Amino acid sequence: MFGQLNRNLRNTFAVVLAAGLLVACGGGSEEEVSTRDITQEVNDYYAAHPELFQFKTPADLPADLNWENGMELPDLGSPEATKGGTEYSYVQDFPRTLRYVGPDSNGAFRGYLLDNVRLPLASAHPDRDFEFFPGIASEWAVDQDSATVYARLDPDARWSDGEPVTADDFFFTFFFYLSDYIVEPWYNNYYSTTFNKITKYDDHTISVTMNTAKPDFFHHILDLRPEPQHFYKDLDHDFIERYQWEFVPTTGAYVVRDEDIIQGRSIALTRQTDWWAKDKKFYRNRFNVDRIVFSVIRDPNNAFEAFKRGDVDKFGLNTSEYWYEKLPDNDPDVQNGYIHKEVFYNQRPRPNIGLWINTSQPLLDNQHVREGIQYASNFDLVIEQFFRDDYARMNTASDGYGEFSHPTIEARPFDIDQALEHFAVAGFTERGPDGILVNEQGQRLAFTITTGYPSLADILTILREEALKAGLEFRIEVLDQTASWKKAQEKQHEIALVGLGVGVEMYPRFWDTMHSDNAYDDAFLEDGSVNLEREVKVQTNNMEMVAIHEMDQIIDRYTQSSDRDAMVEMSHQMLQIHHDHASFVPGYVQDFYRMGHWRWVRYPDFFNHRVGDANTVYFLHWIDTDMKEATLEARENGETFEPVINVHDQWREQ
Amino acid sequence: MFRLTPETLKKLNRFREIKRGYYSLLILGFLFLLFVIGELLINNRALIVSYEGELYFPTYGEFHPGTDFGQSYTYETNYRELKEAFAEADEGNWVLLPLVPYGPNENHSTSGVFRPEPPSLEYRHYLGTDTTSRDILARLFYGTRTAMFFAIAFTVAVYGVGIAIGAAMGYLGGTFDLLFQRVIEIWSNIPFLYMVIIIFSVVPATFAVGTRIMILLVVMVMFSWTTMTYYMRTETYKQKVRDYVASARVIGASDARIVFKHILPNVLATLVTFMPFTVISAITAVTALDFLGFGLPPPTASLGELLKQGTSNLRTAPWIVTAAFSTLVIVLTLVTFIGEAIRESFDPKKFTVYK
Repeated sequence: MFGQLNRNLRNTFAVVLAAGLLVACGGGSEEEVSTRDITQEVNDYYAAHPELFQFKTPADLPADLNWENGMELPDLGSPEATKGGTEYSYVQDFPRTLRYVGPDSNGAFRGYLLDNVRLPLASAHPDRDFEFFPGIASEWAVDQDSATVYARLDPDARWSDGEPVTADDFFFTFFFYLSDYIVEPWYNNYYSTTFNKITKYDDHTISVTMNTAKPDFFHHILDLRPEPQHFYKDLDHDFIERYQWEFVPTTGAYVVRDEDIIQGRSIALTRQTDWWAKDKKFYRNRFNVDRIVFSVIRDPNNAFEAFKRGDVDKFGLNTSEYWYEKLPDNDPDVQNGYIHKEVFYNQRPRPNIGLWINTSQPLLDNQHVREGIQYASNFDLVIEQFFRDDYARMNTASDGYGEFSHPTIEARPFDIDQALEHFAVAGFTERGPDGILVNEQGQRLAFTITTGYPSLADILTILREEALKAGLEFRIEVLDQTASWKKAQEKQHEIALVGLGVGVEMYPRFWDTMHSDNAYDDAFLEDGSVNLEREVKVQTNNMEMVAIHEMDQIIDRYTQSSDRDAMVEMSHQMLQIHHDHASFVPGYVQDFYRMGHWRWVRYPDFFNHRVGDANTVYFLHWIDTDMKEATLEARENGETFEPVINVHDQWREQ
Repeated sequence: MFRLTPETLKKLNRFREIKRGYYSLLILGFLFLLFVIGELLINNRALIVSYEGELYFPTYGEFHPGTDFGQSYTYETNYRELKEAFAEADEGNWVLLPLVPYGPNENHSTSGVFRPEPPSLEYRHYLGTDTTSRDILARLFYGTRTAMFFAIAFTVAVYGVGIAIGAAMGYLGGTFDLLFQRVIEIWSNIPFLYMVIIIFSVVPATFAVGTRIMILLVVMVMFSWTTMTYYMRTETYKQKVRDYVASARVIGASDARIVFKHILPNVLATLVTFMPFTVISAITAVTALDFLGFGLPPPTASLGELLKQGTSNLRTAPWIVTAAFSTLVIVLTLVTFIGEAIRESFDPKKFTVYK
């Protein structure tokens, strides 16, 4: 109600502004001053793109479809969960916008606005391999041959403002993500290159067709989330400013109310008590907490203090520093059972954290220098002594993809003799007065490692001290995140310590990071030989500047392929080439996450589902308000409970 | 350049009478001496190695690979291990280690994991270790050394520029004075810390640490010389109209001679009074920059970096913040005491008290 009022007020404001502008410009059409309605524009757009937007009748549905609804899959969450309570949490930065598209929208808070909350057609069951459970779609049918997914929308599905979700909203979604109103080239590109067409059969039946029938094409289609057409009726080029703090109606359980947005201080999610999916099989035990209040606490140390006070309900304890030093098992709050500690092992693709060596830089273009660096980087020591053996060594840039990951490649170990041998082949035979190798031209074997994470500086200082033994100097450059990312994207770095986050996908991507398309313009001539006049291509993720003709060809085939076994084979080949190329020093893999939470935050016994990498992905927890009162009272009176330190290793990979 | 006049001697004697300042100066002087010979006190290189009848002094100069002393590795000798190896072999070879046998960048864990370890006499980590098991005393010592030397260089530079321009403004007056006043007004309104941060964020990390320190110095001086000029200008104005300046001019002394030989000694009191505060502001500024992460690149030891580690491990490793904070307090207090004593001894009114 307030939101609506506010919104109308703001509309008026926009109109006044627009009018002023028009006067200033000395004229304009009448239409723009009056309330805008883009329904006609949208319909015209559909009509102008008949290939993409197709209208058919239910009779046109193929008869032999195999409809699925995923109801045989196990429930999510715990039936013990109760609704209610308020959870107190924190964010390091106040979200820069409530939009989840457009500039600045890809922040840490987006998960709460979009990814983990809004329902797609169907979601992959976290405990299974690409088996889906229903979301907006109550059932769906996959047609492999035509790369099409047919979906029946759940007639119960409602937007948070009460409007039903219909096929029109999905049509509008395509219009929305293809339009330039949203100022988001990535989505423009994704929607225009990925999808072939969307078809409406009736208000609750649609089908979407992909351009290629990749083994996981249905994953991309079922992952579509609708956009509310009725809400964006007056969508205009002021999208970015106008929806900056506007909460878009959601299909999910949580809304952000206008009165809960306290700029720079706090923001809260509120559960819709009459949410349309609250009793559905896969949602009834989730989204339990009534309100989740996020206060802005910029410094992690302050956040931890707030957690210890009980002002924040749970806290991530991933680093050894927090897990062993700041909240050790013998901490009084843990021993008295007020705070529980949990470790959860998951199974999912791992972010490729490691040293990305820019092979276009002098010296680093030498294979032997790179191999020497591989042997001179003591990640083993970092893992053993800094991470206390909790983490594992990463072996390739694409670990954790099941069959698609390489079964046998192992990262090169720290080995001074091997490193020296390789450096010697590259011409670095003598040690200078400071112990660093020099070649005949007097060049020192010294490279700069750039990182945007101050927290990784400790790792770098260890690597540096160890590399000195092999006559290699690492200079450490800690920049702010944006600057370091830009540097690597512009290919200005020598070596970058970064990791790209990865979602749960069936097979790894290679084109982004290893195809010469992303390293140079016209890297190779027709006959496959190196184009000597090629120019560096910037702003891509190929931060190692990998340009190998053979690799390109495999990637091209891999992108085209729809044969799973062939893709597995190709994936292994590419990982082998990449390993031999030695341009990536694999870092470490964290195959778990750990956290501490106050006693009153309750979790299912199994704690989380297989791919869970954070505690709010599936919203399985609930707040026990009575227990909170009892705990606080007990703490006051010095009563204690059994200490709880759980290790959930049911999904641990050996 | 200046001969000690009876007047100056009197001031110096008075300075010596002010015990607090005098002893502070002695302590600080002693510290400086330690800083100069720092490598002999705190270092992971041995002072003396006696190997097969020959004496080696590895502290300064080129590194000695392990093979020099019969070890199997070609990288720099680990002298602590060498000492143990020699003791075990018992062949008459010996190693003399410095008082604190750790380098500032060396990760030395006594427990097999890198974590802050409390002070320990046994392992000679007298102030404990930091989060990646580096010796705090070593880092503190070298960090303070950098800060102190930096502060002195900074003070000299700021005074050089400030005195030259300020004196010129006061002495020449007229358009030059007017123009420079405006320039300074504008210049001094540029927030210095932000400028340092901006400039430092574009300085490439490939520069050696020494070069980076020099750049930092230049940038800081560029934005700090203005305050000094104003004092200098007013003082020069005051002195310029005095009879002795007129006489000097009549004799035919050049402008430079008048300013540096005649006027400068008379305004020294003002300048000297501000000196300690300039030193303090320099130390605080570099510490703040390091604390914010815009100072010297890791792993360079610095007070600010230690303070930062300390504050983020307040509960679990209080010895980090204690060590860094106490050092900062002690150094700043010593400098302040000296400054007060100087001010008092240069004050012509002997018996004034501040109310």
